[in-house]
Amino acid sequence: MPRDLESEVQALLPLAPAFLHILIALGEGERHGYSIMQEVADRTSGRVRMSPGTLYGSIKRMLADGLIEELTTGTAGADERRRFYRLTKFGRRVAAAEADRLSSLLLQARASGLVPKRS
Amino acid sequence: MPQPPIVERLYRLLLRCYPGEFRDDYEREMMRAFRERLAHDRALGPGAVLRLGLQLLVDAVVRAPREHLDVLRQDGRYTLRSLRSAPVFAITAVATLALGVGANTAIFSIVHAVALRPLPYEASDRLVRIWERNDSLSIPDFAVSMPNFISWRERATTVDIVGWRGGSVTLRGPGDPVRVQSVNVSPDFFRLLGVTPLAGRVLVEADTAANAGNPALIRDSLWRGYFGGSPNVVGSTVTIAGQPYTIVGVIPGSSIPLSAEFFMPLRFDPTTETRGNRIANVMGRLKPGFTFAQGEQEVQAIASQLESEFPDSNRRWSITMTSVYDWLIPEETRRALYVLLGAVGCVLLIACANVANLMLARTAARRREMAVRLAIGAARRRLVRQVLTESMLLTALGGAAGILLAYWAVPVIRQWLPETLTRADEVTVSAPVLLFSFGVCMLTGLAFAVLPALASSRGHVTDFLKEGGRGSSAAGATPRQLLAGAQVALATLLLVGAGLFIQSLQRLQRVELGFDPRGITTAMMGVQGERFATQGGPWNLFYRPLLERLAAAPGVEGVALSSGAPFGGGNTGMPINAVGDSLMGEAALQTDWRMVNPDYFKTMRIPLLRGRYFRPGATDENELIVAATMARRMWGDADPIGRQISAGPNGIWTVIGVVGDVRNLDLSLAPAPTMYLSTTRFVWPTMTVIVRAGEGAQPAALLRNAVRELDPQLAVFNVREMEALIDDSAAQPRLSASVVGLFAGIAAVLAAIGIYGVLAYLVSQRTQEIGIRMALGASRPAVLRLFLGRGLVLTAGGLVAGVAGSLAISRWVGSLLFDVQAKDPWTIAIAGSTVAAVALIAGYIPARRATRVDPLTALRAE
Repeated sequence: MPRDLESEVQALLPLAPAFLHILIALGEGERHGYSIMQEVADRTSGRVRMSPGTLYGSIKRMLADGLIEELTTGTAGADERRRFYRLTKFGRRVAAAEADRLSSLLLQARASGLVPKRS
Repeated sequence: MPQPPIVERLYRLLLRCYPGEFRDDYEREMMRAFRERLAHDRALGPGAVLRLGLQLLVDAVVRAPREHLDVLRQDGRYTLRSLRSAPVFAITAVATLALGVGANTAIFSIVHAVALRPLPYEASDRLVRIWERNDSLSIPDFAVSMPNFISWRERATTVDIVGWRGGSVTLRGPGDPVRVQSVNVSPDFFRLLGVTPLAGRVLVEADTAANAGNPALIRDSLWRGYFGGSPNVVGSTVTIAGQPYTIVGVIPGSSIPLSAEFFMPLRFDPTTETRGNRIANVMGRLKPGFTFAQGEQEVQAIASQLESEFPDSNRRWSITMTSVYDWLIPEETRRALYVLLGAVGCVLLIACANVANLMLARTAARRREMAVRLAIGAARRRLVRQVLTESMLLTALGGAAGILLAYWAVPVIRQWLPETLTRADEVTVSAPVLLFSFGVCMLTGLAFAVLPALASSRGHVTDFLKEGGRGSSAAGATPRQLLAGAQVALATLLLVGAGLFIQSLQRLQRVELGFDPRGITTAMMGVQGERFATQGGPWNLFYRPLLERLAAAPGVEGVALSSGAPFGGGNTGMPINAVGDSLMGEAALQTDWRMVNPDYFKTMRIPLLRGRYFRPGATDENELIVAATMARRMWGDADPIGRQISAGPNGIWTVIGVVGDVRNLDLSLAPAPTMYLSTTRFVWPTMTVIVRAGEGAQPAALLRNAVRELDPQLAVFNVREMEALIDDSAAQPRLSASVVGLFAGIAAVLAAIGIYGVLAYLVSQRTQEIGIRMALGASRPAVLRLFLGRGLVLTAGGLVAGVAGSLAISRWVGSLLFDVQAKDPWTIAIAGSTVAAVALIAGYIPARRATRVDPLTALRAE
């Protein structure tokens, strides 16, 4: 990875939890807003339920940061057209870097005996 | 279409908390997500719905403001970028605003410190001063006799009354003898003002008893200075005129409205005090529940009772009552301060108009950019907000710079303030002043942003683009012309004011003094003690040898002695009656008196008009020299020499000479009737020695040395040059003249920039039209006339408004002027023509540029 790209990635870490949840929810493909909300809830057994404000506030910022991009699709009329989002390459890198960061943190926590060896 | 369910409408309402742009982008999506989420959560049960509701509330209070902040930050960044690309505009605007805000902050800090803060005394709004008053002698306020003071105090039920007598004493304590202002106060004085001593105690009623010894209080300044802040000062003893005084306490100077440094109990000896001897000062505090009018009425009624009980001493004497606030900060002073505030307010308005004009010019120049942004989807409100953000940023920068400017300027201004201005030394940029400046900034930001914001919100995208970014020649021109006109009006107003104040100051400084102040130095001293107790003692034993010694010194042109030199502060006067025929009939004439030595008139260069001066050498005769005004008031054109006057218990006096009138107290006061007695017969406890010296002599040192050689125990004080004393007397008018003058100059420059800006803008907008006109045969002078004419119309409108404004406030300013009418036509004419000339020059430059338009180039640009 070129250095400036790497530093751009690092500048975004640590990610806000909502960002990471959204990145993970979009990991398997594009989704619209409510579907992201639903996916996050499913993955966390209903513990994390994002509000529309958190969701779209995060989407706005993630779009601006280039983590995700918007694609318009659907078959219904213009009014019913939903906005779909998907990860960008950059978004994937950032998600991976964040995952790296978290797993190394986890390793350190294990090494210092804070976490049982097998979860 | 069916109404959406109530919860959806509620949520739509909540979404209004978000910024418009955010809603434009996401409102529909959020509504949809909400609908689906609600359906899902309903299935889960009421707990889930409740959780959703809470989340939405949190969204509205936490997330929505964050979005607003985001937009603001974005606007700020954009604005910073656009300002950086237009540094001349940015610097001009910020500097103009800094000047306006800085000037207002500085002047307001004076107004606040002097006039707006409550006085630092307990229940200060109920404190009053009470004077005796005699309308038949034209005395509006006079000291109070001790017996009258005691009677008022005993009889008044609505006012608590205290009194004091001022003076000065020579202290002999730890260091060299020092002369200090002293005051004998009735002990409840300190309780009335709520004074808390810094050390020891204040004086109490028991201290006035004859056997209470000599307890005294000192002010903190005397404690820190003379006593070196010694912790053992309470209980220590000082000597005054051979008598030991025990210091019982130290009080903070800020807690009392007197400048004295040494306080002794006021004792009343009914066997020696008379009702006609008016020497005490009286202050009171209205008891709770009583109004000023009730208190005034009651003391007035008591004065009437006393008048009928003691007609000999109290006939025609009534009272004057004012609040202590009005006494300390007279209405004139406040008015002068508000005039200054008004002047800087005008400067700020002009600055706002200028920045508004600059922004309008910028908006016009950026119409194409704006149009493009509108065309690619930027919301119109976004553009308006852009203008507002820009104005707010400029205001913030200008305001911050202005406040810094004020921090720097206030200590400088403090030096210019008249010494007599109460609390002048406390002028600082304090928290309330900062609050004021902040408010001024907010208003300023809005004031100059309104027109540009309106201008940028109007018009259609297609129009903008069709015009090729040039804009129609009329767009934005009208508000800009109005602004320039307003600037001219305000500048005219300020110039008229400055003209009036400067003339007033000049006339004040050119006023006929009646004596020659050049080279004169005065010094005060008081002779006390046993060896001077004999009649004529102080004169023969001390003053005459002192004057002889001084007169013999090199460089000294003359020496004299007086009980009070002109502009030395303080006054002595008494009512006198003519013996025999006079214009006054039975009525008394209130006359100022001075004790002077025979050489006084020669040294002061006061002309002798008739008769002769006092003869040197002691005399037993009651000889009197009168000033011209007194002679005229008493005897008209008749020869006063040899006529006599009666000075009550002081006997009958014969006039031996008439001298010229002298301004004694204040430059702006016409000379009062004055008479002179000879020091060969009487010497006042405190006398002023006057030395007239040539270039290079050092009269101050000379005076101190001569006194020390004669009496090392004697303190010399208030050593001042006469010209400095006179200068002080003009300090207030000088402040008005210099501040208003300074700001009027700035205003004229700003107004010139305003006119220049508008005309330059019009010329640039109409380049093409000029080209066509010239191609069709219009001559250069015709084009010049076209634009110059436009400038003149603007100027004329502004001038008319400015002159009307200055006439409207003339009644208000009039009382601050000396010997100048507030509607002085010459001042108005000169100020008006100055503005017109400046405007003409400012307009000529762009107008001439219009004549340089090359028709070919102008047309080819199409």
